[in-house]
Amino acid sequence: MIKLKQIKIAGIRGIKESLALSLDKKSLLIYGDNGTGKSSITDSIEWFYKDKIAHLAGNEIGKDSIRNIFITDTVDSKIGFQFSDNKLDTEKSIDNSYKVFNSNSSKEYYNYILESQSENLFLRYRDLTRFIVATKGERLKELQPIIGFSQVQEMRSILRKFANKFAKDIKAANFSNKKSNQQTILMESLGQNITSDNQFFEIASKLILPLKLEKDIKSFKDARFILKSIEAKEDSQLSDQISFNNKIADTLKEIIDETALLNTLYKEYHTPYFELKKDAEKINNLQLLSLLTEGLNVLKKDIVKDDFCPLCQQDKNKLKLIKELQQRIESLSELKSEKEKLGEKAATISSILQNSLNAVNSLLREKLFKEKENIETLRIINVFKDSLNNISSEIKKDIFSVEPLKEPALVQISTKDVAVLIEQSKKIVKEITESAKGNLKLQVHTKLSRAIDAYIVFRKIEKEQELMLNQQNTFEALYADFIKRQEEALNGFLTMFSGDINKYYTLMNPNEKVEDIELVPMKDKYDDLDGITISYKFYNKKLSPPSSLLSESHINCLGLSFFLASVKAFNKVNDFFLLDDVISSFDGHHRTRFMRLLISEFSDFQIILLTHEKDFFDIASSEAKRKNWIIKSLSWSAENGVGFEIPLVDLRTNIEEKFKSKNIDGLGNDIRKYGERQLKQIALNVEADLPFRLNDRNEDRMMNELLCGVQSKINKHSPASLKTKNNIDSLLASPLLIGNKASHDSSFKENISDLEVFWEDIKKLVKLFYCSEEKCESFISIKNFDTVKNEIRCSCGLLKYDWKK
Amino acid sequence: MSEKIKSGQDVIEDFFAEIYNVPNADKKTIDTLVALYSENKFTEKNIQNALDSQMQIELNKIEKGND
Repeated sequence: MIKLKQIKIAGIRGIKESLALSLDKKSLLIYGDNGTGKSSITDSIEWFYKDKIAHLAGNEIGKDSIRNIFITDTVDSKIGFQFSDNKLDTEKSIDNSYKVFNSNSSKEYYNYILESQSENLFLRYRDLTRFIVATKGERLKELQPIIGFSQVQEMRSILRKFANKFAKDIKAANFSNKKSNQQTILMESLGQNITSDNQFFEIASKLILPLKLEKDIKSFKDARFILKSIEAKEDSQLSDQISFNNKIADTLKEIIDETALLNTLYKEYHTPYFELKKDAEKINNLQLLSLLTEGLNVLKKDIVKDDFCPLCQQDKNKLKLIKELQQRIESLSELKSEKEKLGEKAATISSILQNSLNAVNSLLREKLFKEKENIETLRIINVFKDSLNNISSEIKKDIFSVEPLKEPALVQISTKDVAVLIEQSKKIVKEITESAKGNLKLQVHTKLSRAIDAYIVFRKIEKEQELMLNQQNTFEALYADFIKRQEEALNGFLTMFSGDINKYYTLMNPNEKVEDIELVPMKDKYDDLDGITISYKFYNKKLSPPSSLLSESHINCLGLSFFLASVKAFNKVNDFFLLDDVISSFDGHHRTRFMRLLISEFSDFQIILLTHEKDFFDIASSEAKRKNWIIKSLSWSAENGVGFEIPLVDLRTNIEEKFKSKNIDGLGNDIRKYGERQLKQIALNVEADLPFRLNDRNEDRMMNELLCGVQSKINKHSPASLKTKNNIDSLLASPLLIGNKASHDSSFKENISDLEVFWEDIKKLVKLFYCSEEKCESFISIKNFDTVKNEIRCSCGLLKYDWKK
Repeated sequence: MSEKIKSGQDVIEDFFAEIYNVPNADKKTIDTLVALYSENKFTEKNIQNALDSQMQIELNKIEKGND
């Protein structure tokens, strides 16, 4: 499993200069106020793994949003990774023309990135509730690819489709009718039904007996040979007439039978069509489906930050709005499914119509239709063809069509004229045959020729039916076997997965009466898996879905539990994950429990935890320190973008090195930072009176405010020593002024001498309050107040001053 | 994921490993499906084409037998 040794980012999003996260496979806790660039770290990692940043994906936001806007065109934006397996180490960069380059082109690296695609590597606050507030179908859609069930669902869908398709095709093919028609022809030609080849040869042999050919028919080859041998040129005209009329009768007879089925199917289609269309509101809503779906996406992507509807601009709770949209979409999804079923019915009718039209068109290609005496026959067949085309046009109308589907009575195919035509054709054949009664060869030729064709067609129909039935049974059996396997596997997975979600949720929310959280597969009315719902017990009452009762904080907690369970269930390659500001809506109890959950249940994982909440950072720091996590604070400056705050010791060394090398670049700012951080500690220890500020603003106090607060306190409480020994007035005068001007935009140009004076004053002030004895190294503090001697002391007691309570 | 839990791929592989044991299934149809799956061509269109071709071969046999 892969852990991270180092991540180095430069020129991506808010990170301008190089930002190195030296991890050495350890977990990392980062504090950063809003706007200090926490999200830039997450965005960079997301871009590295996914080649995009999902929350920036949109029409107007492209690859240009990846590069930091202050870097020059010649500089590449880049993110480098050192992994626990150094074969995967790489640097991915994007240049000014948005060309992406990766330094590692090995197969191992390619496979690693590929396998990482389905892993849960980062979670942002905005994505916390995505799975929880998703529709049942979206949840299924989201889980299936991760557990490889998309392919399963696809295969299941194929097997089901074929099982249903064969059932419909067999019904539409009307095999028994087709076979019966051919048996009728055989009866007319050979005087009896034929069910086997041998029976055919036996009866055909009897048919040719009067010709005294002294030959038996033992194969179809024999039969065709005899046909050829008894063919007479002088009979060809009569023979063509008989064949033409037989084709009219046989073709139309078959289509008439199909026509009855078509009329029935059209009626069956017409009723649900109007059932669906009569609810105009629903139909109109169905046309709004894409708008609603897009609206839901907008809300889920957190594009709208506040609780209001972006369309009507009214105040509206976002979670409630999401829920309402989901309900509307889900009710329309059912309607959409009804529309699709209707489409399937239309497809069956179209398929039969097409077969009938093909047969009619084939018949119309007979050359004898060009003869004058056949004009009326041609007209009747064309009228019949038009009526088939009428139904075809109706079927093409969908439920949104302005012109409604015609009533069945108006498009019913009339077979009256065609039936007369069939009888007429049969009569012509009979008359020709009788007129040539003495022509034995013609009689036998006509019957044998027709019988061979009919029997072959019969055999083909029989075979087609047999094969289709076999295929239908096969797909039905395979489908039944497959869904059993799929459901067993899915239930097994969901049980395990639900167990983990339940465990993590309960660890963060003990004694809250929400129990037995379960992911439950749901089926549609056709018994097909169509979603996953989340159910839970609340005061022993089973409820679903969670958004119906749980508060936003609890839903977030559930979302977090889902992510953590996903990490355990699905991450097979990576042993790390990043959580970006995920506890924003949690109260104090949840935050502590959340941190303990990470430490107790995910101790094997490397975690990168980002937060802007100072309280949580303090809680998390004390827990994390014990587990050897790395703890960092982020800061942001216009010059460098995102960077880590330098530890005090390092800051002091930097300042002194700058003095040595006479480098004043940023020196005033460094001294001010050092002074501010030391003064905050002094102010805290002497309990300086400063105006109240909220946590996140408390850190922003400037040096003069802190100096005034400390001065006021010590003047009042330590008049004999600290009041007289401190140099705060000097600091509040020119050196501080220099410090402030040096750290902000100003026309003032500081020089090294000014800065040296300022630095000496800061050090002098710190020395007054700080005991540097090796075993002590602490500031004087009210905590160490000596009530007997009325003194304030450091921890070891060496540094002490008078102090009036 | 736990070893006891089957992934989607496991479900499909198990299904094809035991497909010939499914009762009431036609061997020729199964042969066709197994071949398509092993060639990574198990799509609706490919199945339909393969079944159509299987049907045509059988119908041609009748035609040939009658010639």
